[in-house]
Amino acid sequence: MTGEAKLIVQGLSHHYPDEYTGESVHALDNIDLQIHENEFVAIVGPSGCGKTTFLNIIAGLLPYREGRALVDGTEIRGPGPDRGVVFQEHAILPWRTVKRNIGHGLEIRRVPKAEREKTVQEYIDLVGLSGFEDRYPHELSGGMKQRVAVARTLCADPVIMLMDEPFAAVDAQTRITLQDELNRVVMATRKTILFITHSVEEAAFLGDRCIVFSRRPGHIKTEVKIDIPREDRVWKDMVDNPKFTEARDNILRLVRSEVTNDVDS
Amino acid sequence: MTTITEFSVAIQRRFGRQRLRKFILGMIPFIVLIFVWHLNSIFVWLDPVEIPPIADVWGAIFWLQSDCPGVIAAIEGHGDCILTNHVSSSILRVILAMVVGVPLGIGFGILAGMNRVVSAYLEPIGVFMNSVSGIAWIPLAVVWFGVGWETTLFIMLNTIFWLLFFNTMMGVRAVPKVLIQGVQTLGGTRLDAILQVYLPGAMTSIITGLRMSMAFGWRALIAAEMIGGDSGLGFMIFVSSSEFKTEEVFLGIILISIIFLATDRWLLVPLEKWTIERWGLVWKPT
Ligand SMILES: Nc1ncnc2c1ncn2[C@@H]1O[C@H](COP(=O)(O)OP(=O)(O)OP(=O)(O)O)[C@@H](O)[C@H]1O
Ligand SMILES: [Mg+2]
Repeated sequence: MTGEAKLIVQGLSHHYPDEYTGESVHALDNIDLQIHENEFVAIVGPSGCGKTTFLNIIAGLLPYREGRALVDGTEIRGPGPDRGVVFQEHAILPWRTVKRNIGHGLEIRRVPKAEREKTVQEYIDLVGLSGFEDRYPHELSGGMKQRVAVARTLCADPVIMLMDEPFAAVDAQTRITLQDELNRVVMATRKTILFITHSVEEAAFLGDRCIVFSRRPGHIKTEVKIDIPREDRVWKDMVDNPKFTEARDNILRLVRSEVTNDVDS
Repeated sequence: MTTITEFSVAIQRRFGRQRLRKFILGMIPFIVLIFVWHLNSIFVWLDPVEIPPIADVWGAIFWLQSDCPGVIAAIEGHGDCILTNHVSSSILRVILAMVVGVPLGIGFGILAGMNRVVSAYLEPIGVFMNSVSGIAWIPLAVVWFGVGWETTLFIMLNTIFWLLFFNTMMGVRAVPKVLIQGVQTLGGTRLDAILQVYLPGAMTSIITGLRMSMAFGWRALIAAEMIGGDSGLGFMIFVSSSEFKTEEVFLGIILISIIFLATDRWLLVPLEKWTIERWGLVWKPT
């Protein structure tokens, strides 16, 4: 954790204008957040609290007016290759093979073919897709598609990787495998990651820190530190790791209180 | 017997059982049609001037080409090679109209699909132009360009362009936004978005547009050649029918269908296989 934070967010709020009623939807309220190099920050919060809104602003896909957001010291203005995004739905291109999807970022940067193929092969091996290089996405399972999406983002080598519920659409077993794999990948690549999820378990398993959002308008309610070394984070050992269960129950309580409040009001 | 069985097994291996079956089933209506046509020349239910015998239609090919000095001359467009000249003049017009109309239609279609301002300008006039069917322009085109290739080309272009424009625009609008965002967050420019996302993403619609422009374009061309042309299969049919040479009319109609079928089989179907079927964008018939 050396030097300046990779992501700095100060007093960020967001209102969606409503074209029909003229009233605006207050989605985010005064967010302050810093993410340092090699940190894995998970965000959880009740549905509709503004998590996707937050991520889209950081990704540059949604313009913001209130507050500041900087990546690597520069103000965010539109999307760019310094912020790689893994979307919830499959955002990989159906008309590109696995290989060409993963290398797309390098292709856009005009990296020479030989060098590109070498790098791509490394990431294909890393996410366990060897043998599927020349397949098209429709020939892959949902889990494999998300592996391609993760590898594609990694391969473009962003400053920070943004992930919006990337494993929400796969079945429970695959999700566990993908979480274990992501851990391995994070250890191998030492990426800085902002990870959004609605699964408390996932947040506690993956995050160095877990940010709990309040219900809408989303603001940061608390932050839970999960002080478990990465190499210990393997699902088969985690279930009876007291640090993990404590963090998980803690986060769950905080999120539940937000959801229950919602029902009461 | 065994050789026949072996032969049939070999054919089935080569083409695939399902495809062979489909092909044979598809041929049956044609065979029935040809058979009934042949019966007519035996029993003469209808006058040969109305329905000429198959042999006469076949003979018309040689009759029309009788003064042609040879294959080379036919390719070079020698004045006496009547049939091949009409065929090549129609085909050349189709190719010319496609070469100009397809890129223009796709180009403007992509722009209009991406950009609300462009579509605000072009969509209303597009609806207007499409509502006036292609052939309704023929009389006006004759006034503007006279009888000849300009008129036929204009009619075809006008048909092709708007069909491709609309289909491409619709296709581009249906491309999931997340695919564009994915490319943007990889550092892709607007040109990357167009070439890597919108164009392939709209391919299903574009191919539909190509099919429609082939179908409507051919029809418009034949009609334009009849009224405002001085060569081509449409012109040949028109002239022959006014001289009661029904066998030439039949020949022209059959040639039009064969050329149309050939372009579909050898251009559009391979394009479809090479793109949207390979990408899993359409359901693949087995
Ligand atoms: N384009 C939009 N226009 C108007 N309101 C929007 C828009 N997108 C989101 N909202 C509203 O802003 C709030 C936050 O939405 P957001 O998608 O960020 O929530 P979320 O935390 O990601 O929810 P989930 O966990 O269900 O994905 C919601 O109340 C939503 O209705
Ligand atoms: Mg969301």
